[in-house]
Amino acid sequence: MARISSAPREVRRPSRTAGRSGQGKVALPLVAPAMILTAVFFFVPMILSLVWSFTTYNGMIPATWNGVTNYTDLASDSVFRTAIWNTAVYAVVTLAIGPALGLGTALLLNRGVRAQGVFRSIFFLPVTLSLVVVGTMWKVLLADDGFINQCLALVGVQGPSWLNDPSTSLLAVSLASVWAGFGFETVIFLAALQGVPRDLYEAAALDGAGRYRSFRAVTMPALRPTLVFVYVVGIIGSLQVYDQMYVMTRGGPLKSTTTIVYYLMERFQRFDLGTASAAAYVLVVVLALLSAVQLKLARRNS
Amino acid sequence: MKTSGKALSIGLLTSALFLAGCSSPSDSGGGEASSSASGTVTVWDYYGEATPLKASIEEFSEAHPEITVDYQAFDYESLHSKFPVAVAAGEAPDLATVDMTWIPSLAANGLLGDLADVSQGMLNGEPLEDQYSDGANEAMHYDGQLVTALYDFDAYALYYRKDVLDAKGIDVPATWDEFIDATAAMAERPSDGAAPTKYGFAVQPDTFHYSQYLFQNGGSILDSDLQEAVVNEDAGVEALDYMQSLLTEGGGIYWPDASTQIAGIKSEQIGMFINGPYMMGVLKAGVPEQSGDWAVAPAPIGEQEGSYLGGTGLVIPTGAKNSTAAWELAQWLLQPDQQAYVYTAAGAAPATNAALELPALSASDPYFGGQAPFSVFKDAMATATHFPYVATWGDIDSAIADGVTSVLLGKESAQSALDSAAQTANAALGG
Repeated sequence: MARISSAPREVRRPSRTAGRSGQGKVALPLVAPAMILTAVFFFVPMILSLVWSFTTYNGMIPATWNGVTNYTDLASDSVFRTAIWNTAVYAVVTLAIGPALGLGTALLLNRGVRAQGVFRSIFFLPVTLSLVVVGTMWKVLLADDGFINQCLALVGVQGPSWLNDPSTSLLAVSLASVWAGFGFETVIFLAALQGVPRDLYEAAALDGAGRYRSFRAVTMPALRPTLVFVYVVGIIGSLQVYDQMYVMTRGGPLKSTTTIVYYLMERFQRFDLGTASAAAYVLVVVLALLSAVQLKLARRNS
Repeated sequence: MKTSGKALSIGLLTSALFLAGCSSPSDSGGGEASSSASGTVTVWDYYGEATPLKASIEEFSEAHPEITVDYQAFDYESLHSKFPVAVAAGEAPDLATVDMTWIPSLAANGLLGDLADVSQGMLNGEPLEDQYSDGANEAMHYDGQLVTALYDFDAYALYYRKDVLDAKGIDVPATWDEFIDATAAMAERPSDGAAPTKYGFAVQPDTFHYSQYLFQNGGSILDSDLQEAVVNEDAGVEALDYMQSLLTEGGGIYWPDASTQIAGIKSEQIGMFINGPYMMGVLKAGVPEQSGDWAVAPAPIGEQEGSYLGGTGLVIPTGAKNSTAAWELAQWLLQPDQQAYVYTAAGAAPATNAALELPALSASDPYFGGQAPFSVFKDAMATATHFPYVATWGDIDSAIADGVTSVLLGKESAQSALDSAAQTANAALGG
């Protein structure tokens, strides 16, 4: 037995090594263009940006080292603090409503609805639209005399000046983003739901589980990896939000829709590349920490 | 309108060609420099589709076969972000159109060449400074250097629906007090206290429009040494209070989004606004059905006349490879007959004194009921001043705009909002 089991190993080992070095010779030139492009357009700018975050670089005159001043300036900048708050509010609103709406829609569609494909396409359609198109469309709908306020007027409610009032602007942009994005979650949840084995539901039914009980005991555990994926992708996306703010409100009024990325883009446009890079790295660290916590929680739960 | 505009440009083109044919080599654009200028000139232009440069450059290329022009079009934002980086990286164009509000940050970083070197103080054979207004000459200098030659200018005047004003028997307002009354009388509201739904005056919460009232009230944004913000002094506070009173006592409509202004004009929600000469072109293209209904008057004054001065400047960056030929082209673009394209192609206002005297610009304009609106902007330019030339102007501009927005939304008092703006401005100035 020992001889038989060790023999293939001895045979395999050299052949695998020979194959690897042979493949390596062929593979290296094939992957080199992609590697070089990734290095030039991804890693080099990342490292440069990290270096700039410790300098006064403005893209025009040589950079001067200024230690952690950009980071301490950020900590004392009330606009940056507002941007962090706005980003957090946006993330909470969109991640509270978006996935819930996506899951609800997916559950409805999963109940053998006729023309399921058509509905799936309809819900997914906004995801395929450019955020500039979505932003422009909602800007028109949310105008003072726009469709939304005209509908509210029909039921005797005078709608607010959604995008011009600092107390409603962030909510309005967040809800427009939910509309644009929840179709993605619908499709992902629907695919996951269709992958849950039928026999689990049958077994649960035999054990006397009702609809709610089988949702909690069968559906939710089966959806957990999908939920983690949706939230990881959702948090990364919502913390990087920029397009909607640029199109709908330009970060205003009174910085009420200035997010972290909007803030750093503004610094870039004013050629304050040091501060902009520092803000970008603060965001990278926050995203990395949040993603790590989420993945750890997901692993513990599973 | 389209036919007459076309006829006008054909007429101008014919007269330009005729003049080019008649003039001797020494008095054609550039004069003696033309003998030494040759090679390729790279031009970066942010004007967009309606650029007046293209037509001018085509004629320049015919008149100067020894110079090849490599014309590259950019949009406004792209040129703003690419120009400084390209110049710093040694890949500067030879000539570029830039917004005058960019001048401080570009010049402070040493990206703009001194035009005095290449021009020797002369423009098309005449002293350069004699060919611009005092305000324009001042705006073209940074730290004693001639960093740009103004190509088109922006200074504010009052646009109003003359047909409505006449029908309601309202006189054209000349002072701040008359202006509040006129806007109140002109605006139509669904009920007392409601915002105007017709013929309102657009109150725009930005630094450009606030400065109109600030300068007219004898105020300034920074002190004369550009060391400290003075926008929160009495003149500034009064100006902002006045701006707010246009909303509370006059017929003002809060209009924060400039991109929707033309829609407001089309729906007749806006019947009056204050803006620069480029809006003449925007109105003609955007609301041709209101032809004959509009007129332009000097902006109603407070203590004194005054406006912000902006526009487009021609710059030759440091590191330009062919600055001699670039100046040759710049001079061509600043000849009166070429400057006419600024009006005919872009609907904007050419900047040189001679161009402002062109018959085409003083002709009666049917869109403005036979008025010759250019003279109004020309007068506005005479008393206009540019924004302070400090490298961190972007931060100061944003702080003031936020202060103005805050007051117009009723969030805080003018004094408190401008104190905050001044504090931010002082921090940006390094104080």
